[in-house]
Amino acid sequence: MGRGPWPPDAGEGGIVDAEIMLRVDGAGHRLVVDTRTTLLDALRERLGVTSPKKGCDHGQCGACTVLLDGRRALSCLALAVAHQGAEIVTAAGLADGDGLHPMQRSFISHDAFQCGYCTPGQIMSAVGMLREAEAGWPSAVSADPKADEVALDDAEIAERMSGNLCRCAAYANIVPAIADVARR
Amino acid sequence: MKPFGYQRAADVPGAVAMLAQAPHGAFLGGGTNLVDLMKLGVATPDTLIDVRRLTSDQIEDLPDGGVRIGAAVPNSDLAADCRIRWRYPVLSEALLSGASGQLRNLATTGGNLLQRTRCVYFQDLSTPCNKREPGSGCSEREGYNRELAIFG
Repeated sequence: MGRGPWPPDAGEGGIVDAEIMLRVDGAGHRLVVDTRTTLLDALRERLGVTSPKKGCDHGQCGACTVLLDGRRALSCLALAVAHQGAEIVTAAGLADGDGLHPMQRSFISHDAFQCGYCTPGQIMSAVGMLREAEAGWPSAVSADPKADEVALDDAEIAERMSGNLCRCAAYANIVPAIADVARR
Repeated sequence: MKPFGYQRAADVPGAVAMLAQAPHGAFLGGGTNLVDLMKLGVATPDTLIDVRRLTSDQIEDLPDGGVRIGAAVPNSDLAADCRIRWRYPVLSEALLSGASGQLRNLATTGGNLLQRTRCVYFQDLSTPCNKREPGSGCSEREGYNRELAIFG
């Protein structure tokens, strides 16, 4: 709509840069970003952290899921500048050295992927989802939304993971992989 | 996406004053709707005023038995809050029926009220839409008319 730059300190073409700090998988990074940069682009293009994937880039597929300050969130819809100082965990940072996270091991042992593109997002979403269930958060399919404890059956897992799409349709193995970790 | 400035106010009056100075600005909460519309070119604010850490993220009990929900309370916390689940179950169930876990963690209560329509034509710059461009017409009347929202 042809609006002039505001605030007045905007640079050429109205582009505004901002300096931010992010903690990604335990390491601190200071960087200058165009205010339009999403967390996903900051991670992938600026910091070289490529485990969060760009699928739809519109918040519909879940491939970019990370833990943002302890909660699962879509990095494609979060502006980096709005998350100054955030603590981000990606699938690449879940492992403890060479020791994979239980969710990562379970996805491998259940063959819970085909092409693997959605897998880092699936795993981060599953890790965040289990925390939510442990905290007693209900879902749209919970038989008793007032119950203090959540029993994660297959229907609960499918509903709670509905923000993560898999074009290979590996759901038949993804749900058991998550259920196996949930039972522990 | 069109370039924009980014501001964070120290308090609510400050945020209101910032918006008054930026007639084409917008308040930013979780950004799940606004950032998406900015990517599509549907929303083109020249300034974002981030109010997520400025407004209350608490649900308070009121003396009359009601609750006051802060504008920055995430959708997920609101849906999971025991008071909402017991006393206002429709609100909890409505929240849980929409979006996804990842979206509900980012989305705020205040932002939810400012959410724009989900109509596909509103989000598609190549089609007429009275809401996006008053007077251009409504593509939905004769077209695809599912997934609409009452408000927005």
